[in-house]
Amino acid sequence: MSQLDELRQIIIGDNSAQLTELKQRIENVEQRTKDVAEVLSSAIEKELSSQQSGIVDSLQKPVTLGLKKAIRSEPQEYAEILYPVMAPSIRRAISQAISSMMVTINRTIESATTAQGLSLRYESLRTGIPYAELALRQTLLYRVEHLYLIDQNTGMAMTTLHADNAQSLDSDAVSAMFSAIQSFIHDSFSVDEGSRLTDLKVGDQNVWVVHGASAMLACVIRGEAPVSLRQELYDALDMVRTDFANEIAEYDGDAAKFMGARSILQPLLRSELKQEDSATENKKKDKPVGPILFSLGVLAALTWLVVHWYDSYSRLSTVKHFLDQTPGITANHVIHDDGKIVVQGLKDPDAIIPYQTLNSYGIAESDIRFATVPVRSLEPEMELARFTNEFSLPTGVSLYKKDGKIYLEGDAPYEWLKSNQTRILNLASDKRLNISRLAADEQSVRAAINARYDSVRINSMTSSIKTEHSKMGVVNIELEVSSKEFASLVSSFSGIPWVKIEANIK
Amino acid sequence: MIKKKVCMVGEFSVGKTSLTQKFVNNVFSETYLTTIGVKIDTVQIEDTKLVIWDIAGRDSLSPINASYLVGAAGVVLVADGTRLQTVESISEIWSTVREKIGEVPCVVALNKADLEDWCVDNTTIESLRDRGWDVFETSAKDGVMVESLFHKIVEKTKE
Repeated sequence: MSQLDELRQIIIGDNSAQLTELKQRIENVEQRTKDVAEVLSSAIEKELSSQQSGIVDSLQKPVTLGLKKAIRSEPQEYAEILYPVMAPSIRRAISQAISSMMVTINRTIESATTAQGLSLRYESLRTGIPYAELALRQTLLYRVEHLYLIDQNTGMAMTTLHADNAQSLDSDAVSAMFSAIQSFIHDSFSVDEGSRLTDLKVGDQNVWVVHGASAMLACVIRGEAPVSLRQELYDALDMVRTDFANEIAEYDGDAAKFMGARSILQPLLRSELKQEDSATENKKKDKPVGPILFSLGVLAALTWLVVHWYDSYSRLSTVKHFLDQTPGITANHVIHDDGKIVVQGLKDPDAIIPYQTLNSYGIAESDIRFATVPVRSLEPEMELARFTNEFSLPTGVSLYKKDGKIYLEGDAPYEWLKSNQTRILNLASDKRLNISRLAADEQSVRAAINARYDSVRINSMTSSIKTEHSKMGVVNIELEVSSKEFASLVSSFSGIPWVKIEANIK
Repeated sequence: MIKKKVCMVGEFSVGKTSLTQKFVNNVFSETYLTTIGVKIDTVQIEDTKLVIWDIAGRDSLSPINASYLVGAAGVVLVADGTRLQTVESISEIWSTVREKIGEVPCVVALNKADLEDWCVDNTTIESLRDRGWDVFETSAKDGVMVESLFHKIVEKTKE
């Protein structure tokens, strides 16, 4: 034994074996792990009971990372574990959201049928603010629309929250402006260091600001919020300051560090509708039935007027349209008078009114009254009808209209020509009748001569060629007669231009 | 995204608002409208959101409102290149800034470079650079060097 060992033996004595055992125990990893496991749970319990957070803080990061990794690797398993806890909450949240939406829709529909609703429609058109937004404002007691957690030092937004459908704003600009206003007021009014801007009011919007040592919480509220909300703002800010003390102290413009603060602030983004009592009162006050009935009445009257006007206009137009196409009528005005359709203008008594056609459009003959000046129409259709009635046309003679003119054409019996010659020649002279193709029938001329003068000998009988441009057709007769008979013949055929006689006197 | 507060400071009517508006909204107006208090604009440059505090200009009656400077990550000192007095006053303004918020990144804009009566010589510019400042001869009207100016201040606030 060396002197050193002897010295150690003197100092440590019997503890030497214990030290050796202790050394082996420390070097043995398996044993050491077992030892730590034995004391870890009791150490954590002791730490928690003494309200110290050393171990908890140390474990927070590895536990979080481990949990994240485990969830990523086995998401299905964790989903199944969490389902019984999460599902009822999700169902409740969805149910509340639907219920809230139904209330909003009901109120919107309700307000849309009242005088107030109409007024809101007008306001919406005038200002460009959606109707739903205006209607919601009417029914809201208050709504927290925006929340800004602002760094007192830089004036920058650490985090911001906005209510659904709230007007979107540039959060950083707004936060900076709040801070600037704060600085401006502080400098301009020489207030104490501890005095801060706490309220702003613009229209029906209020801004409440609560201040902490290095952070402030600005809350934009539409309507009148209860005073108790301010205390809630303070509580929320205190909670954020406690939980994010380091992040606030070391704020460098990174808003991501304050994502966790959103869950603290989220409950403050709430709204309260006006009491049902006051809503009922409003309902009574508005009495929507009256305005609706009045509106419906006005609408019905307007509809009737429009329909009636259209119907009247349509009947008058129909009558005028068909009368304009009827020969012998010039309808200058077609108007309504004393329940009748009155036609003013010119009318030929022989004109044929198309009553049958008008009847098919629901216009009876009795509905129409003519206040017209009687005239003799020279329209070809009217002339043709008139001449057809006037002349009893013999076989071989026709009367027709062509290119706006009336033609009398054919080989007419001598006797018919003789009885109608004056009228025919007058009409031809007035250019109301074209007789260029009208001629005397040779047989009837021969029969007329023979019937009167048995001894007359007809040498020849020729007809001129009838053309459209000839004046009329002429029958040339050459015969042998005594001087007495010739005088009688000439007298008989005088005035009949369709027959020309040349005679050899015996 | 990181947010940075940058303050535009300088004498009265040197073009602080014009530079800001040119950079943020790409607009320039010949009409002069004086800034009262402060105007705030935001703009994103790559991964940084710049919150620009365009502070009302200083003159003999209205000293710069130093409260607005608190928390600034950087400062743009603006002077009018056609008015030598505004360039000379940069030092005084910088002293106010340093007194209020300490040493912060800073760039200098000598504005109105498009005008003919430019009166800043190279010696003056070099003396500004000798103080460690980046100097930009800008024109809010033409947009010359405006982007470079703001990109530089962002870059310096990240250092």
